Amino acid sequence: MRWLDAAAEQDIADGECLGVRVAGTPVALVRDGGKIHALHDLCTHGAARLSDGFVENGCIECPLHQGLFDLATGAPRSAPITEAVKTYPVRCIAGRIEIAL
Amino acid sequence: MSETFVIIGAGQSGAWVARTLRTEGFSGRIILIGAEAHEPYERPPLSKAVLKGEATVASTILLSQAEAETASIEYCLGVEVSEIDRTNRNIRCADGRHISYDKLFITTGSRVRYLPDIAPSARIHTLRSHDDAARLRQALHGHLLVLGGGWIGLEVAATARSLGVSVTLIEAAPRLCARSLPPVASAYLAQLHARNGVDLRLAQSVAALSAYQDSVIAELADGNIITAENALVAIGVVPASELAQACGLACEDGILVDETGQTSDPDIYAAGDVTRHPNAFTGTNIRLESWANAQNQAIIAARAALGIPAAYREVPWFWSDQYGVNIQVLGMPVAGSKFYRRGAPQTGMGTWLALHEDGRPAGAIAMNAPRDLRPLRPMFANHTAPDLATWEKSAPAFTPAALA
Repeated sequence: MRWLDAAAEQDIADGECLGVRVAGTPVALVRDGGKIHALHDLCTHGAARLSDGFVENGCIECPLHQGLFDLATGAPRSAPITEAVKTYPVRCIAGRIEIAL
Repeated sequence: MSETFVIIGAGQSGAWVARTLRTEGFSGRIILIGAEAHEPYERPPLSKAVLKGEATVASTILLSQAEAETASIEYCLGVEVSEIDRTNRNIRCADGRHISYDKLFITTGSRVRYLPDIAPSARIHTLRSHDDAARLRQALHGHLLVLGGGWIGLEVAATARSLGVSVTLIEAAPRLCARSLPPVASAYLAQLHARNGVDLRLAQSVAALSAYQDSVIAELADGNIITAENALVAIGVVPASELAQACGLACEDGILVDETGQTSDPDIYAAGDVTRHPNAFTGTNIRLESWANAQNQAIIAARAALGIPAAYREVPWFWSDQYGVNIQVLGMPVAGSKFYRRGAPQTGMGTWLALHEDGRPAGAIAMNAPRDLRPLRPMFANHTAPDLATWEKSAPAFTPAALA
């Protein structure tokens, strides 16, 4: 596993999302209650960026059709989502957020 | 003994009833009957990505044959139902088959309204199904005449323009989407379409429409004649409630259901376009023709039929995509009497908030600003409006990826 630099820790406030590109892959970084999650930044239902979504109750809600994904596992948590979104391992080192694709 | 739940209508609602019954643990038989030969699919892309040729039919499938098999959902596709026999709790299909049910779901949706005096023709189109979209796609060349300035007419006009097709759009009302939008938002849409080259004829009706081998000719009430290669009739839909009416279920421009989706027969539920249901937000019985209603009312009906406490109380919501502008409508903004603005919705980037005279929320319309609607949803559900002083400050921008 190779860790790749994604963003600065201070770039994301609690309850917020940030869309970044890591080695060409769109990634949504989400800070929820102090923990940072990384998900593939494309809804598995419509073609929307999850980083434009909303964080609530451990889920991210797609801004287009209101589907929910579990932040920790990427699993579907409400209609219309039926397919999980990919999640990536995250670590924070010296103020930087790193992920492994 | 194992129970059998039968679903008539294999669209957004029917597929979500079937899926929900299984995820909620129902172990009996589930039979999903669809008049179309296709597996259940999502309709919103039909006027947009599918029509444009950017999305395949396969990408719109909601519940594939393979998924259905895994979930033990039995498909009867390409099968029309001809009668519901409530006394004996069975249905008769057009192919002669009889199927008994313990619970029945009617999710037949709606059908397009057609102009009464116009003979069907290969050059006069409607848009409801995949097959309609495939035919219309072949017709997107030269000049397209669109009858109806509602959401489908506008989305098809936008798609046609993006493919370089000339479009003339005729609307009988003096403004676009008059049934769902207040004048200020209709004006924005008219501007958007005019800027993209659509020839808009508002407050205009068609006196006659004739189809020939290679053209259609429309005569307008003002005497103008328009010649085009093809025409699309997009003047709304009517609930497909014939089966329900014929078997004596209470209907009133749609099947009457309660907030669990139950009809006047306790063993029969209905969901989606075909229902008229109590809406907690408007306080009235309404019929909605939206993707969200089709999906979410179906999920509630499936739970209720299994005895799980459930009530459908969502604030109405739908979206449209035209020329790269994502338009979302929450509540019933057309009912509002006072309007407030955040950002610049009149130029396609911001939101209008509509309030009733007494300050209760009527609705909101977001232009490329879906993030604006999210915080309003729980407020609207409680009949509260945001604090206007803070709400009216400018909104975060939203850049659509590729829109469905």
